Amino acid sequence: MKIQVAGPGCPRCHATEENVRDACAQLNLVADISHVFDVREFAKLGVLFTPAVIVDGKIVTSGKIPTVEELKELLSKIK
Amino acid sequence: MVLKAKNGGSKKSDAIEERWEKGFMIKDLFMAGIIALKDYIATHVLTCLVPAFLLAGAMVTFINREAILYHLGEKANKIKSFSLAGVSSFLVAACSCTVIPVSSGLYYSGAGIGVAFIILWVAPASNILALVYTGSILGSGMVISRIVAALLMAFIVGWVMSFAFRGERAEIVNPVGEKPKKNIISKQDLILMLLILLSLLLPNYLVRGGAYGYKVLVWASVTLVMVVYAVKILPKEKIKSWLRETWWFVRIIFPLLLAGVFIVGIIGKILPEDWIKSWLGGNGVLASFLATMIGAISYFATMTEAPFVDTLMKLGMGKGPALALLLTGPGLSLPNWLAIAKVFGAKKSIVYVFTIIVLGTIVGWFFGNFIF
Repeated sequence: MKIQVAGPGCPRCHATEENVRDACAQLNLVADISHVFDVREFAKLGVLFTPAVIVDGKIVTSGKIPTVEELKELLSKIK
Repeated sequence: MVLKAKNGGSKKSDAIEERWEKGFMIKDLFMAGIIALKDYIATHVLTCLVPAFLLAGAMVTFINREAILYHLGEKANKIKSFSLAGVSSFLVAACSCTVIPVSSGLYYSGAGIGVAFIILWVAPASNILALVYTGSILGSGMVISRIVAALLMAFIVGWVMSFAFRGERAEIVNPVGEKPKKNIISKQDLILMLLILLSLLLPNYLVRGGAYGYKVLVWASVTLVMVVYAVKILPKEKIKSWLRETWWFVRIIFPLLLAGVFIVGIIGKILPEDWIKSWLGGNGVLASFLATMIGAISYFATMTEAPFVDTLMKLGMGKGPALALLLTGPGLSLPNWLAIAKVFGAKKSIVYVFTIIVLGTIVGWFFGNFIF
């Protein structure tokens, strides 16, 4: 599973990445987690509102910081 | 001003030199900052900042911003899409940093270059957060001027950008998809947002010039209604995420705001009134141009522009230049020019910044001479 966090380096974006890592750790999920900083890349991913979480190319949340609980629910559905 | 120049300020530099001779120490400056901070905290936190942050949190949580923006990617005619872009910008973002991804995302998903730059300009220059805050510090006349001027400038910027880059078309990397199913906002959430807005507006408009205690009283009663409504009507999860987003705004903006007010206090003490009066006083073209440049180059976090302009106005800045600074302060900054250049290309960035500087100068001059 490939998880991307899109955010231009704002504190909210870092918080999102942390929550994603926590959620994966709690689910014992092995995922390739990366953080996309380049605003031009956002357009390609279809992201308008940051921070956004993209799982295997599909945007699952955007414009807010998802909680660890929310992420766990989302990720376990996809898994 | 305690240490006013005694020679009547015949030479501008005399005034500041005299201050230094009189033993103008770091400690005095520090105290000036602290006093500004104390005044500010005493009179703004409860009736102004708390509701403003709650409103910002509510905007992020309750408004479906994708649904608003969906309509902007459509191939509508210029008048329609420009108006829509201008109006929706009020609700979309709170500062220039969050708006760049939104605007570039729109552009690369098929919206016109004019629309993209209208969002880029209007969202920081007159978002709801900054507007209500401006109102409580500088009065409603200034807010209405700020809205009207921002929209006027937006239309012209939109036309200029569309005209200058009419042959160009971004490679559309991500065409607008299906229409989002959710509505922009549900009725329940809208009522809550209106209540927050009331708790922000009523204390400052009902108790005009009255004691601060009354303001707190009005604020507390509206807030009580708002809290009861939220607890009774909204699901717990929603309230939680609303408060979480609010807390983020507090964490990000509040320290910047405090630092800003502190620095403004010091600047107010250092700058001689004579300087402000002769460079930024009145409503001349030069004063407007200088105010525009100050705003266009330096970085103002959302809302810090209001106390800054307030201080400068007390020292003798004209109303026209004040408006120019209010608009360009949060709307543009040097780091912002670079970010825009990186995303949209240097040419577009230069045309945009140049247009805004020219328009800001004209708007300051025009409003100062014919409106205020």
